Amino acid sequence: MTSVDRSVLPPVGGSAPVAFPAITRTVGLHPGGGQVWMVPHERTSLVTLALLIPSGAAADPPGCEGLAGLTADLLDEGTRTRDAFELDEALGRLGGHLGVDVSSDATVLWVSALARHARAAVELLMEVVTEPRFEPADVDRVRARRLSRIAQLRHAAGAVADRTWRRVLYGDHPYGHTPLGETATLAPLDAGHVRAFHAAHYRLDRATLVVAGNGDALEAAAQGAGGGGAASRSPAPLPDAPADPEAPSARLTFVPREGAVQSEIRVGHLGIARKANDFHAVRVMEMVLGGQFTSRLNMNLREAKGYTYGVHSSFDARRGRGPFDVSTAVDAAVTADAIRETLDELRAIRDVRPVTDEELAVAKPALTLGFPRAFETSGQVARAALRLALFDLPDDEYTTFVPRVEAIDAAGATAAARRRIDPDALGVVVVGPPEARPGLGGLGLGEPAEAPADGAAAGGPPGSSG
Amino acid sequence: MTDTNHAVEIPHVKVTLDNGLDVIVHEDHHCPIVAVNLWYHVGSKNERPGRTGFAHLFEHLMFEGSAHHPDGYFRPLQEAGAALNGSTSNDRTNYWEVVPRGALDRALWMESDRMGHLLPALTQEKLDNQRDVVLNERRQRYENQPYGMAGLVQYAAHYPADHPYHWPVIGSVEDLRAADLQHVREFFATYYHPANASLVVAGDVAADEAIERVEAYFGGIPAGTPPAAVAPPSVDPRARLASLRLEDRVELPRLYLTWTTPPLYAEDDAELDLASDILSAGKSSRLYRALLHDRQLATDVSAHQYSQELAGMFSIVATAAPDRTLDEIDDLIATEVARLAAEGPTDDELERARQQVEADSARRRESIGGFGGRSDLLNTYNVMAGTPDYLARDLGRYARATRAGVAAALTRWLDPGARVALSVVPARDPDRALAGSTPVEAS
Repeated sequence: MTSVDRSVLPPVGGSAPVAFPAITRTVGLHPGGGQVWMVPHERTSLVTLALLIPSGAAADPPGCEGLAGLTADLLDEGTRTRDAFELDEALGRLGGHLGVDVSSDATVLWVSALARHARAAVELLMEVVTEPRFEPADVDRVRARRLSRIAQLRHAAGAVADRTWRRVLYGDHPYGHTPLGETATLAPLDAGHVRAFHAAHYRLDRATLVVAGNGDALEAAAQGAGGGGAASRSPAPLPDAPADPEAPSARLTFVPREGAVQSEIRVGHLGIARKANDFHAVRVMEMVLGGQFTSRLNMNLREAKGYTYGVHSSFDARRGRGPFDVSTAVDAAVTADAIRETLDELRAIRDVRPVTDEELAVAKPALTLGFPRAFETSGQVARAALRLALFDLPDDEYTTFVPRVEAIDAAGATAAARRRIDPDALGVVVVGPPEARPGLGGLGLGEPAEAPADGAAAGGPPGSSG
Repeated sequence: MTDTNHAVEIPHVKVTLDNGLDVIVHEDHHCPIVAVNLWYHVGSKNERPGRTGFAHLFEHLMFEGSAHHPDGYFRPLQEAGAALNGSTSNDRTNYWEVVPRGALDRALWMESDRMGHLLPALTQEKLDNQRDVVLNERRQRYENQPYGMAGLVQYAAHYPADHPYHWPVIGSVEDLRAADLQHVREFFATYYHPANASLVVAGDVAADEAIERVEAYFGGIPAGTPPAAVAPPSVDPRARLASLRLEDRVELPRLYLTWTTPPLYAEDDAELDLASDILSAGKSSRLYRALLHDRQLATDVSAHQYSQELAGMFSIVATAAPDRTLDEIDDLIATEVARLAAEGPTDDELERARQQVEADSARRRESIGGFGGRSDLLNTYNVMAGTPDYLARDLGRYARATRAGVAAALTRWLDPGARVALSVVPARDPDRALAGSTPVEAS
């Protein structure tokens, strides 16, 4: 037995280069002629399909918030030739799962199935997306279920905080609501709205089908998608990204929750778009600030103070400028202290405690050495390819990620904090017990505006109390 | 079942070190990463009343440093590009890292340091801090979540006070506040040693090299005494309250029906698992169709066979649609379960459920690491079935299941007279619980 030197941690070897598989593109998805992207991923007995429709909740017509989500939720209620049960049974025979993700920017239909059924899985997916039933009775039933979901979320403190925060930050902007929408905007929607949204947005000429799996599965899937002929890189322009919203009216919003043992807290302002030039510098800076366990925020609020089970910050980089926020749930007794510490950290990283080389020695390798983990499964590879399509990124985006992160130094990370964090623009949302409210007045953000638990923002101007 | 691309097995070698540590290595070179997955065969079932929450609190302390690295465990692993985490269940505690292949030594160094040399680095300050973190975890995940206390109430009602599954993994607030350093030290000495652990290394490393490295890092740790097996008292379903209600900050009433069932890998476990899929997986499942579509009594329904080491629990959970009652839901569930128990599933239902079992297993096995990947699965088999060589047998249980077998398992275990029903209802609205329910307090 060899002996181990316990006086020092073993050094870490260099990173293995990431070679993202070469994507083969063909035209398929008839009628319409969208793109089919084949991504080889050999070591799996599964095939992953992801169909990107580049319209999500941000495409909801004003006053119809919730329509994109409702439409997507109805896709598995049956097709022209199969009712919902026959459709589910057909999926079951393929070992298949169908899921639909609706974000602000996009609707993505996911199918995971046994690779030997790849062709049938693609055919079923295309049937779902091109021939949905949208029967009024199904619309009524699914809408009722989504309305009761909204009602239930009023009691989930984290969801109340998220919904309120989004509304505070974006107001009536397309990013200002979740895919669920609001009770008042969802309730009147009917099959006519759903069919119109489907006709306007589920256009195959703008769609991209990503297929990840082994060679046999890719070939079978391409046949199922009607693929033939090489495709150009970008078939049709993506819809415009939303413009920036106006600055929020309230700095501090309080949602009372009788008897709550914790306060849910959100602190932040507008963040970045995915194609921002400083995306990689922001990624490095956010790792230092609140993007990993050893971040400043978590080491302070969790590990030093014991205020919380965890705190996290993120720049949600979307097609338009997504939110930047710090998110945590703390012991209600320390609500104001936790916010004060958070605000201090957000100020400090810009000047009094700039990013250090020592911090970068953790933050950068966490991104670069950890990068290969993101490409292990067929689902991960499909998701990575999908993001190339959604954000119109070049094919070498993943192979250049590591050197681009490596190039960020401490000054560059601090500069990103100065550019992207504005202490004078930070907004705060608190969902907590009424006893937590009095302490908030001393934060220097004015008196809190009070908002109800249904995710609507407070009505009054800054400083008004509700 | 066929699996056209690679055989249904996870190739591996297993050795047991002189100190009793089981070491299992699985090679997979397609991605330049290695998973380290370490199980300690200790969970909340090994605690005793008055000292609950210990196994989980201890899991937190394991990340706070060891003798030769007395600071936090996240920094040296995150700077090595690792993902890492741990979890505690009633039955076991696991710790895992997924690292770039060049960081395997560091992961093994650290896992072995906290197995062999934890206590010198353990201070009152760390204990106090992590106790606060865990109390906040309890608030965040249970106390401040709609329906968050239901699981705690269910287990407490389901198992008598002296049964190791009676108390929650997160522990009681009172016990967490009372935890002291001496208790923590005793707990470590009893359960955290090679003879009570199982280590999997999986990924981009040669098996002989992995074993040599593990031997170097772990071989010198003294063997401990294997802890005595936990012997649960028998559960008498007739001795427990059959219908409970809990008031909570919720919008809609929710019904939790549970039955005591066979433990993991025991006879009928797979049949009950298939039955849960046939009842609630997908829109064509029987309960979804009856409750959400045809009668629209519920907004969601799920059924699970929770297979654990000492006992299983079959659960059906449904949330009432606005203006519908839990009694209506209860009646319809009873009808559907009785029908499935009497007639068994159709051939098509059974075949679809089998296809899904195969695909779900393949989905789980796509990753080498993390919760539920191949390394965790090998440890599940090694600790719970006694051998890592168990995948084919595990899946074989499902391949051999029959319609009559599923029906018989339901008849045997889902006895309407042996269940526990829990109604979680909006505060101050107790009439929305099942008729005849007894109020309980969550703590």
